[in-house]
Amino acid sequence: MSDPTHPRVLLVDDEVDFLTSLSQRLELRGVPTLSATNGPDALEILDQKPVDVVVLDVRMPGMDGIEALRHIKERHPRVEVVMLTGHADLDTAFEGMRFGFFDYLTKPVQLGQLIAKIEEAFRRRQGEAVAGGETFTGKLQQHMIVADRLASLGELAASIAHEINNPLAVIAESAGWLRTRASRADVGPDELRGSVALALSKIESAVDRAARISQNFLRFARAPDARVREIDLGELASEVRDLTVRTAAHADVEIAVTRADDADLSLTSDPYQLRQVLLNLVTNAIQAIGAGGRVELAVAGDPEEVRVAVIDNGPGIPPELLERIFEPFFTTKPEGSGTGLGLAVSRGIVEKLGGRIEVDNRPGAGCTFRLVLPRARP
Amino acid sequence: MLKIPIDLLIVDDERDFVEMLSLRLTDAGHRVRAAFDGDAGLAAIAEAEPDVVILDIRMPGKDGITVLKLLKASHPIVEVILLTGHGTIGTAVEGLKVGAFDYVQKPADFDELLGKLEGARLRKAEHEERIRRAEARALVRSSGDV
Repeated sequence: MSDPTHPRVLLVDDEVDFLTSLSQRLELRGVPTLSATNGPDALEILDQKPVDVVVLDVRMPGMDGIEALRHIKERHPRVEVVMLTGHADLDTAFEGMRFGFFDYLTKPVQLGQLIAKIEEAFRRRQGEAVAGGETFTGKLQQHMIVADRLASLGELAASIAHEINNPLAVIAESAGWLRTRASRADVGPDELRGSVALALSKIESAVDRAARISQNFLRFARAPDARVREIDLGELASEVRDLTVRTAAHADVEIAVTRADDADLSLTSDPYQLRQVLLNLVTNAIQAIGAGGRVELAVAGDPEEVRVAVIDNGPGIPPELLERIFEPFFTTKPEGSGTGLGLAVSRGIVEKLGGRIEVDNRPGAGCTFRLVLPRARP
Repeated sequence: MLKIPIDLLIVDDERDFVEMLSLRLTDAGHRVRAAFDGDAGLAAIAEAEPDVVILDIRMPGKDGITVLKLLKASHPIVEVILLTGHGTIGTAVEGLKVGAFDYVQKPADFDELLGKLEGARLRKAEHEERIRRAEARALVRSSGDV
């Protein structure tokens, strides 16, 4: 197989104008492209010509992007696929993660971003070609991380939608109340001014809250490059509690963060990945214990290490299953509700960050998963 | 506005929402009390029976459906309007089966809510009237026995 220095790109989109202009702009930037306006044409081109990266629109008539992706990955597993989605299609795009696309970009697409993404995908393909089997595990794990992030994303999306709804309701009531106050003759100017001040303060704090929710969500949904920085494990635990408190309440599970007084909980690590691991452990715990249970995030530290324990008072893990829980694809959850990758991926992440996961299982009385992390990343 | 004032209890853990909705409903001429979780709501009902409870489905601790069932067991005549988010409409429909009068989706349309409150008040008044008549009949029967 030839080893080109530039990615060979196939663009697939049913909007011909968009396709032509994108292809011209990419060529101007030195990225040669082929084009197809539908899935079947794209597959035919892939059968005939060498292509490194496919840029694929999610929404197309006939064979849609997801289906096209599935066929592409079946027939040409080593071709990387970047999906283009509208905001409304994000769910569909996430679904596509299962079939192994490289990443997605939301339309309108910035050319620079697209080129960067294409090159990233191309580098991954090249890296694989060079390293062969060795990176396959890396890639598999990457896919597992992605799949699992999306599984928990799906679970979280519902509770986030609900979260956003609450500040919206506050805003709606405040505005409605103001409207009636303003239309009433018996409300004097001073009283009205007071009403305005009250309603505005409620609206502002609701807007702040909605913004915080969406920021949390975005931070979670985006897959940033590993960013290592100084973080406070206690704050991270509180953030995870905030993200799961609704899900917990819905399951009638209490969730709390406890931290040893004046313990220094700072460490240098990757907050995004740690958050993912903690979310996974907490979500597992909530699902495991059921109504009336309690999940505690206990944070502590000593000079060398910081620790966060996810303690539940559920049934614990049957001893015969204990040694299998970190196996990829091992799950006790019903079909379709768990990937079986959470713990496997979590352990991979934690080990990469120089830490470990300890399990303290108390059959009949609960289970503790403890993340132990070095103060500084190795 | 010649609306009959309704004794209302709002049960919702969203304090700002409860505060603003209370103000609006008070402005509209109703008497409003508030509780911020299920247990406090049940306590408030035990203390003084409202006409209608506006009850959030998704709350920490006892959720709205649990509160609804307990409430209907102890005060069957009190009417309940459930507040739902997008994710809980299925639950709201379940709630109707165990005796809620209706549900309103958050953020609530205020006029829609007022309409439903009036409907709930009427149904409670009808029930009360029926009970009064039945009691009166029972009274007549028992005095006839003497």
